[in-house]
Amino acid sequence: MADIRPFCMPKWGIEMTEGTIAEWMVQEGESITRGQTLCLIETAKITNEVEAEYDAVARRVLVPAGSGAQPVGTLLAVFADAAATDAEIDAFIDGFRPADTQVAARKPAAAPAAAAATAAPTKIMTNRPISPEALKLAQAEGVDIADLEGSGRGGRITYQDVQQASLPKADPVLHGAAALVVEDGKAFASPLALRIAARHGIALAGVTGTGRRGRISKADVLALVPAPAPAKAVTAAPDLAAVANQAEIVPFDRIRKIVARRLTEAKQQIPHFYLRISVRADALLAMRKTANAVLGCKASVNDYIVKAVANALARHPDVNVQVHGDELHRFPHADVAIAVASPKGLVTPVVRRADLLRIDQIAAATRALIDRAAAGRLSFDDMDGGTFSVSNLGMMGVEQFDAIINPPQGAILAVGAAARQPVEAASGGVQFETRIALTLSVDHRAIDGAAGAAFLTTLKDLIEAPEGLFA
Amino acid sequence: MPQMMYRDAVVTTIAEEMARDPNVVVLGEDVVGGMGTAGGPEAIGGIWSTSAGLFGKFGADRVIDTPISESAIIGAAGGLALSGKRPVAELMFADFIGVSLDQIWNQLAKFHYMFGGKTKCPAVIRMAYGAGYNAAAQHSQSVHQILTGMPGLKVIMPSTPADVKGLLRTAIRDDDPVIFLEHKALYGISGEVPDDPDFAIPFGHARLSRAGQDVTIVSSGLLLGFCEAVADKLLAEGIGCDVIDLRSTSPLDEETILDSVEVTGRFLIVDEAPPRCGLAADICALVANKAFASLKAPPQAITPPHTPIPFARELESAYLPSVDRIEAAVRKLLAWRRGN
Repeated sequence: MADIRPFCMPKWGIEMTEGTIAEWMVQEGESITRGQTLCLIETAKITNEVEAEYDAVARRVLVPAGSGAQPVGTLLAVFADAAATDAEIDAFIDGFRPADTQVAARKPAAAPAAAAATAAPTKIMTNRPISPEALKLAQAEGVDIADLEGSGRGGRITYQDVQQASLPKADPVLHGAAALVVEDGKAFASPLALRIAARHGIALAGVTGTGRRGRISKADVLALVPAPAPAKAVTAAPDLAAVANQAEIVPFDRIRKIVARRLTEAKQQIPHFYLRISVRADALLAMRKTANAVLGCKASVNDYIVKAVANALARHPDVNVQVHGDELHRFPHADVAIAVASPKGLVTPVVRRADLLRIDQIAAATRALIDRAAAGRLSFDDMDGGTFSVSNLGMMGVEQFDAIINPPQGAILAVGAAARQPVEAASGGVQFETRIALTLSVDHRAIDGAAGAAFLTTLKDLIEAPEGLFA
Repeated sequence: MPQMMYRDAVVTTIAEEMARDPNVVVLGEDVVGGMGTAGGPEAIGGIWSTSAGLFGKFGADRVIDTPISESAIIGAAGGLALSGKRPVAELMFADFIGVSLDQIWNQLAKFHYMFGGKTKCPAVIRMAYGAGYNAAAQHSQSVHQILTGMPGLKVIMPSTPADVKGLLRTAIRDDDPVIFLEHKALYGISGEVPDDPDFAIPFGHARLSRAGQDVTIVSSGLLLGFCEAVADKLLAEGIGCDVIDLRSTSPLDEETILDSVEVTGRFLIVDEAPPRCGLAADICALVANKAFASLKAPPQAITPPHTPIPFARELESAYLPSVDRIEAAVRKLLAWRRGN
């Protein structure tokens, strides 16, 4: 029997009930390999690539891209090996029932009616010992248990026995023998280390092992593998005018397409206005050194600004809002999204309840999020929600800029570089101080100018007198 | 390298260590081999011939016949070890740990710890174990899993003459109490043995005896040879098996097992001890816990049934794991059907 497998709408979080296929990256009939990107699925909160978990052929694509939201568990496509006939695929699609993913919300009362509406399971009468769940599965799948060998005590049939009988036969890929390296009694290494040593022709006698009980480990051997010779540097061509300047054409990848669409929508549909202010940062920078030493952390200037923003938001819930259609959602605590450049493009992971966290806790949370972003491992939960955003290009030397609001949030703060500037001193002379330019982009549908200005004033006070961050 | 029998590897290694270190002494029932008989000392040579010739070379002070009391043998070995000797005690049958268990479990295993690390207990307790000799329920058992469960002991079970030599030398030179289990059905096998008088194999280092990429088989002692035979047979069909000889069950070489399973994704352990709360279940759990992501089928274990070892030849054969059962288990692993 052929190996036919369904591909269903995944469930990425407890709240996800449906998703939309934004784009298919495979065509019907195309061979797919494990790890290949299959499609891009968009939910209310996130857009993610889905990778193939096994090698197969995409035999049917049932839900084309852009055909609207589909409930979790919906059959989206059917993958199988090339040997499966079209008739088998059709039979599989006809017989497919989505798995019940609503474990938490299961309603026992509604279940019997629904089950009766689909195929009525054949009742199995037997005296053989069999677990209740196994019997249920055998009835649902129509498995003949008469010839089934039970693996339980006294030949009792388990759920696993029935499940095995209901699945298509395995067709394992064999890899055969491997090179056997015989110990020479002089160096004791793990078999994996021995194999690697044999492959690279490395003699292990005399090598000091760093593994457990002094054994030579894979790492010890890999350290001895000579590095490949670096490619020789090419000397620059003298005739610079002859150097071609051909454009490299890079199509938007899927993530960038989504980012582009969302930001265009935000800029076109949200009535932005901008409030600009400059704050004195000398006290903050001085306190950062002391506070970091006392707390034993390495909180960055941005971490302190996130903390100041969070405290100011807690005092100004009118700014700590999300806009959902005709509704304003006002939050008591600040979940601050921070803009991070990742290999996959701009991402905005969220530091949660930042107003309740101490500065070292903010630094730790932020560091973890940035590390995950750099590794491309941010989860749905990392990016979900957020009541306000902070985008900081100050560390790149940008003096000031205006940011685009990250919907459904009501505002975003753009942070510029700390720069030494001459100002008029109280005595009338000129003195230098360190100043940071801040721009608050505001959604005028939700937040008025006065509310935004009051928030900025509190923020300015907190940055200029940073003792308030520990209040 | 010279060929040598498993039992001769035992005697040779003890003799070499006795010659090297005057503190090494041998004690046990009939280790002189014929003392008190009409033929005199060494006329018989012990029931396993694993101490033949030692009395003649090293004399009555270092080769000590004991009364038929396992408690006395192990108790004396513990005392010798505490007072600076390196005793190599012999239990004629591993089954007799029952009458000497307080000495093994509560005394030798714990001296070093209960005296705050101020004492060492460099005792070796050799014992013959295993079924296949129609010796019935009290003289055929595999006790390694009981002793492996006792912290403070090292438990060694060699399967080849070379391993006997390398591991027994390490055992005698080790400063902790070591249980050295010799399978009685292996005493007569021959194999190449290095003649280097310092050849030693560190504990906790398993041996790969066959290399393949489809199934991992872990075993020890007599059954290792069964596993090798299955691996050789299946190779003709393109099925490659890693066969791992544990060599010691305490310490256990986790890395070799896990490294292999991470390649093959299929795991089988074949062990001669009963199934409940045993070594096979222990290592299956290890694999399920630490290599779950690599597994393509549930870990399989082959052990005898949970019953005392029968005396009748046919029943004993049915009791012991067989080549056929091992082959069937490998095929079951390969035939495992994976759902989504």
